[in-house]
Amino acid sequence: MKKKELMIITLLLVISLVGIALFYTVNASNQPLTVRVSRDGEVIATLPLSQDHSETFSNASGYNTLVISNGTADITEADCPGQICVDTHNISSPGETIVCLPHKLIVEIITGDK
Amino acid sequence: MHSKSYRLVILSLYVAMALILSYVESFIPLPIPIPGAKLGLPNIVTLVSLITLGWPLTLLVVVARVLLTGFMFGGGFSIVYSLGGGLLSLLVMGLLLHLFKDNYSLVIISIFGAIAHNLGQLLVAGIVLQNTNLIFYYFPFLMLIAIPTGFFIGFVAKELIGLLNKTTIFNRLNS
Repeated sequence: MKKKELMIITLLLVISLVGIALFYTVNASNQPLTVRVSRDGEVIATLPLSQDHSETFSNASGYNTLVISNGTADITEADCPGQICVDTHNISSPGETIVCLPHKLIVEIITGDK
Repeated sequence: MHSKSYRLVILSLYVAMALILSYVESFIPLPIPIPGAKLGLPNIVTLVSLITLGWPLTLLVVVARVLLTGFMFGGGFSIVYSLGGGLLSLLVMGLLLHLFKDNYSLVIISIFGAIAHNLGQLLVAGIVLQNTNLIFYYFPFLMLIAIPTGFFIGFVAKELIGLLNKTTIFNRLNS
């Protein structure tokens, strides 16, 4: 491999790693964290991350079951074809999201009470 | 055979190959914690097509592949995401190829194409869900994954073109 190629690849690797680090530092906060659930761009629920809770969100397109426990949020069950939202890791840091594209559902961790 | 119909045969072969690679790819999940990330096997065909047929015909290959896989294996809306990724990726790769002319590196073009593909899909998802947060969250991770996968795909495409150039397949293409 040529030197130039290696340089570009290294540069891209650094940019992506810096991007990840930047995302977590910019969003870091001491405020209480909230789980916000939206569908089609509209907020359908806001729940405190500190409180264990389990809820199923369903409409005509299908359902997603959200479980909040030990300060992390996770979608444990859904009837979407790809199951990507179910496979997504638990989220607990501000800015992190779980997305279910077929149901246009998004679960976010936000700072503050609302 | 007339060179125009010859080109049509090559074009249809590319579409068929890209279609099969899309299907095969769905059986190869990547062992990483980001769900939905894929190797990008059809991009091997896109790259070979870009080099041998140029971007206008490659646009046809990409659109045909996305529509056919969408209707055959995907669910409804998945076409829009694939199209967003496929078109942005093709645009970036076509521009890079045009910019560097004969001095191009297929591996680098492939990596940028992979990054653009992820960005295109994310932008569509951001628009559909009316949420910009997810773009900032997923993009750096997807970019990190796109580097090794894009490298692999670019390497395979480079070797493939090297082998195909030893055959007479492309001799009649531009005559």
